Amino acid sequence: MNISLNFVKKFVDLPEELTPAQIAFDLTMRTVEVEDVINTAEKFENIVVGEIKEVNAHPNADQLKCCIVDCGEDELKQIVCGGSNLYAGEKVVISKPGAYVYWHGNNELVLIKESKLRGEPSYGMICGASEVYMEGLFPPKDETEIVDLSDVDCYVGQNIAEVIGMDDIILEVDNKSLTNRPDLWGHYGVAREIAAIYELPLKPLPELNVEGLPEYKVTVHDPERCPRYTALEIENVYEKEAPLWMKALIINGGMRPINAIVDITNYVMMAVGQPEHAFDRNHVEGAHINVRTAKKDETLTLLDRSELELTEDDLVICDTVDPMGLAGIKGGIKDSILPETTAVVLEVADFTAAGIRRTEKRQNEKTDASMRYEKGVDTQRAEQGMALSMTLFKEIFPECEFVSYADVHDIPTERSVIDVTQAFLDQRLGKVIPEETIEGILTRLGFEVSFDGAVWHCIAPTWRSTGDVHVKDDVLGEIARLLSFESFEPTPLHVDFEHSVNQPQFSLQRRIKEYLAFRCGFYEIFTYPWVDEKYLKAAGTDFSKAVRLAEGPSPETSTLRTSLIPGQLESVEKNLRYFDSFSIFETAQCFEKGEYHPSNEIETLPIHKNLISGTITGKDAKTIFFQVKGVIENMASYCHCKELTFAQKEKPSWADSKVWLNVICDKEIAGSIGLISVSAMNEAGIKRTNVAAFELDYDKIPALPSRDNEFKHLPTYPLVQQDLSLIVDESMTWAQIKESIKFQVKDIWFVEEYRGEQIPEGKKSIMFSIKIGNDDSTMTSKQIEKKMAGIMKNLKTKCGAELRD
Amino acid sequence: MLNKLEAIREAGLARISEAGTLESLQEIRRELTGKKSELSDVLKSLGSLEAEMKKTVGMKANEIKNFFADKIEEREGEIVASASVIDGEIDLTLPGIPVAEGALHPITQMCYDLNDAFLSLGFEVYNEDDISSEMFAFDNLNFPADHPARQSMDTYWLEGTEDKSGAERLCLRPHLTGGSVRKLIMDGVPSRFIYPGRVYRNENTDARHERAFFQYEALIVDKDVTFSSGKVMINTILEKVFGRKINVRMREGFFPFTEPGYEIDMECLVCNGKGCRVCNQNGWIEVMPGGVINPNVVRAAGYDPDEYTGFYTNIGLDRLVMMRYGVDDVRFFHSADLRFLKQFK
Repeated sequence: MNISLNFVKKFVDLPEELTPAQIAFDLTMRTVEVEDVINTAEKFENIVVGEIKEVNAHPNADQLKCCIVDCGEDELKQIVCGGSNLYAGEKVVISKPGAYVYWHGNNELVLIKESKLRGEPSYGMICGASEVYMEGLFPPKDETEIVDLSDVDCYVGQNIAEVIGMDDIILEVDNKSLTNRPDLWGHYGVAREIAAIYELPLKPLPELNVEGLPEYKVTVHDPERCPRYTALEIENVYEKEAPLWMKALIINGGMRPINAIVDITNYVMMAVGQPEHAFDRNHVEGAHINVRTAKKDETLTLLDRSELELTEDDLVICDTVDPMGLAGIKGGIKDSILPETTAVVLEVADFTAAGIRRTEKRQNEKTDASMRYEKGVDTQRAEQGMALSMTLFKEIFPECEFVSYADVHDIPTERSVIDVTQAFLDQRLGKVIPEETIEGILTRLGFEVSFDGAVWHCIAPTWRSTGDVHVKDDVLGEIARLLSFESFEPTPLHVDFEHSVNQPQFSLQRRIKEYLAFRCGFYEIFTYPWVDEKYLKAAGTDFSKAVRLAEGPSPETSTLRTSLIPGQLESVEKNLRYFDSFSIFETAQCFEKGEYHPSNEIETLPIHKNLISGTITGKDAKTIFFQVKGVIENMASYCHCKELTFAQKEKPSWADSKVWLNVICDKEIAGSIGLISVSAMNEAGIKRTNVAAFELDYDKIPALPSRDNEFKHLPTYPLVQQDLSLIVDESMTWAQIKESIKFQVKDIWFVEEYRGEQIPEGKKSIMFSIKIGNDDSTMTSKQIEKKMAGIMKNLKTKCGAELRD
Repeated sequence: MLNKLEAIREAGLARISEAGTLESLQEIRRELTGKKSELSDVLKSLGSLEAEMKKTVGMKANEIKNFFADKIEEREGEIVASASVIDGEIDLTLPGIPVAEGALHPITQMCYDLNDAFLSLGFEVYNEDDISSEMFAFDNLNFPADHPARQSMDTYWLEGTEDKSGAERLCLRPHLTGGSVRKLIMDGVPSRFIYPGRVYRNENTDARHERAFFQYEALIVDKDVTFSSGKVMINTILEKVFGRKINVRMREGFFPFTEPGYEIDMECLVCNGKGCRVCNQNGWIEVMPGGVINPNVVRAAGYDPDEYTGFYTNIGLDRLVMMRYGVDDVRFFHSADLRFLKQFK
């Protein structure tokens, strides 16, 4: 929202020495965040009032005139101009050299210099409204019209910003910091804060005087949604422009001047935060306003004659026939001020926030009015708005007459009453604030306070009682912020040392992530919990188990993943554009339909699984599969969790028909590894490469309480290493070979598997190494021979193995 | 004869100093002092000399032999010292062989840095689940019933629950704060914990806005805590992240679950507070909200707000990482783009 300091000055006199930067800073620290401070006069530099002394023909151009102009300098100047309304004695806007203007409606600013136009010297420029940011104030009738200031109070040489009220400072306030402060959606509220901060007097608003006015007929059918409705019937008004000062403040406050009647309503809204609406009286059928919810299938005719469909939850302002406006949001064609308007009914009403928000959302419409109502406006404010409006109508339309009035005030906003003990304030603030300081702060903010020596009895103002201030902590907050949070010294925290924090599962998670990143060469990624259905399908997601968002980022991304594999597939596919081989992993929660009660029986959440999943992408399928297997095989010893083993029990939906294994921990399936199936890769668009994946459930892998290394004595007598190369049937597994001689060796490890020319069909060669030795002596060559013979015998009988030549 | 010996000595010395490799030196050793060497011939011929001469020549010959031995050893030392494992030329400017790749996500790195700081202060880590209910996400936190954040234009509600309310209306958590009440209910007070995690908002994305982003929240609940203690916690976070003391300021802010609430700004690191484009010319950058826990929240957790109070600090990890490294688009964090991720080790 824009706060105009000129507007604020209508309600509080600011001392000369108070700079805009200081005001912006103090408001930011204590009240609302000021994001920017804009000096509106800056762009009017070198743009002044001039007076045309002579209008002469241009010797070389029929459309141009050579004007002799007094612009307040020592001598008269000639300016060449094509304006259609030039005359001697006219006061005009002169852009002198050094000014920036929009060149004939171009969108770029141009620097004015002394020059020649068609051979004639021209000092500067006589400007049209659109050239010098003045269309709002002086709406031009046509393109060639220049601004005529003859009727405006000004003098030759005067800077134009001063003349038109653009000698203003605008504070741009972050709307988010205003959400809880309906009182600050008007300049009077901001003026009150400034007055409180600097201890300045706040000027009172006009009092409402409607004595003796006959009643205008208003019926409120739903007081819960419309706690107050006031209406004033005004005659002898017509469509005209508002005075310059008002238009300037409306522009600086961020709105557009329209006509004097509408501008008064907008001005009042900007002044006190109370939205208003003026209906053409002749449009109110039956001279009776009805505030009610819309009927089934009822519509509102808008200004462009289109029909807005209403629901039975939309509150509408009706005459005796049909809706004229959507309450608190916008009007229809019936409430427009037209050239033929001569009398209006001014609505100053209060609509409750919740209903406004529902209708805003349904109709997808937010207006300056609805933005204020949705914050919660107090019903007493209607009176302020009405009183200020009456003053302004009398000022701008001195001939107008107030003919009737209505005030349906069914549910007044109640003032919050709060008792706060001095002890509470002292303790929570961490220092003792003098009595008179507290009283001063609260009083200036509109609270009524009394103190009995121990307890502060506080009655909050109505404008803070629509939800903002209601408990003693709120009172404390008011005191703390007005003193400035910065004025409180930081107090050190005291820590009672009882025991060390030991959270093994958290530590394990971090160890596993660090193991993958630092030892296994994986990059950690994050992807969204909603995944494009293409990848969910590719990974074989069981959609019947998946949880869906009511309104996801898009229809294709409304299903929450049940596994991290779909996100891995998507990330692999994307990264393949730039890399051939890479390893990535992700940890995140995934969800499945089911019942889980973290707090109580009513709160039933879907099943949450804490998963970690990773993939290695590379050309050689076998290699990457065994790389993934290696990552999981070694995880337990590096990360200190329970042992992980492998078995084929349940094939994951994404895995290759042959190449997959379940990971077993504590006799339960804790996850799977495998190659991504051909069909999954096709569906995910992964081409000309292979992907091996793993996915584990953290919660099924218990952390060990501490490191699980075990010390074994080093062998006293040397071990002998023997390398073996066997030929076995294709069906013989390494696990069987290892098992068959495990008891005969000190150590055994796999070296290589080989198929090729020298190996017969249906067979394969396996190379491995073993270590053998005695516990009590060095092995003799005879012993070695004997041992090896025994080992070979076992391999032969149990595994059908032959030594390869 | 002595002249001949002198000649042998000269010639031998020249040969030794010419030797370039250990092998050639070995060869020279044999030539100069071996059985078939000239020196050996001289010694063999000693018998034919008279006694006086025999003694002189013999001594001289032995002296030369020792001289050769010394010189060869000396040369051997020189050769070894100048020898290289590598034959031929080597380009030492070639790059080293890369170490294993891999890295944690920059968000995780930041999170772990902060964890280290907080764990050293005796904080626990807590994780609420990503799916929560309106009861914990809003009701307990003092959000008014018609608060706009509850609408589906702000929060991702789950299909089938969107029209229910309270504990039955489920959502992807819109912030971490809901978890604080769970933790307080579960583990009691006084309490001191951090709860980092990802949160979700239904909004349009651009360089500064994301639908999924990371927060880091800390909460202390105890008796007799004043709100200004929150500043200590904030300084801890920023010092850890930026490695030095950072100027901060605390100003008015509003959140339903705090009273009073405040925003924390840090001095802009780009201009050191002088004002620049990054900080919108005001020298300060908003980094985190915080505040005293609202009495209604203490009550929702089952405790007496007159007895217990505390404060929150919540920091946007995405924003912090962006500031730490100058990342200009928040969407990179969920892009899984390795060209981006490889920049953070």
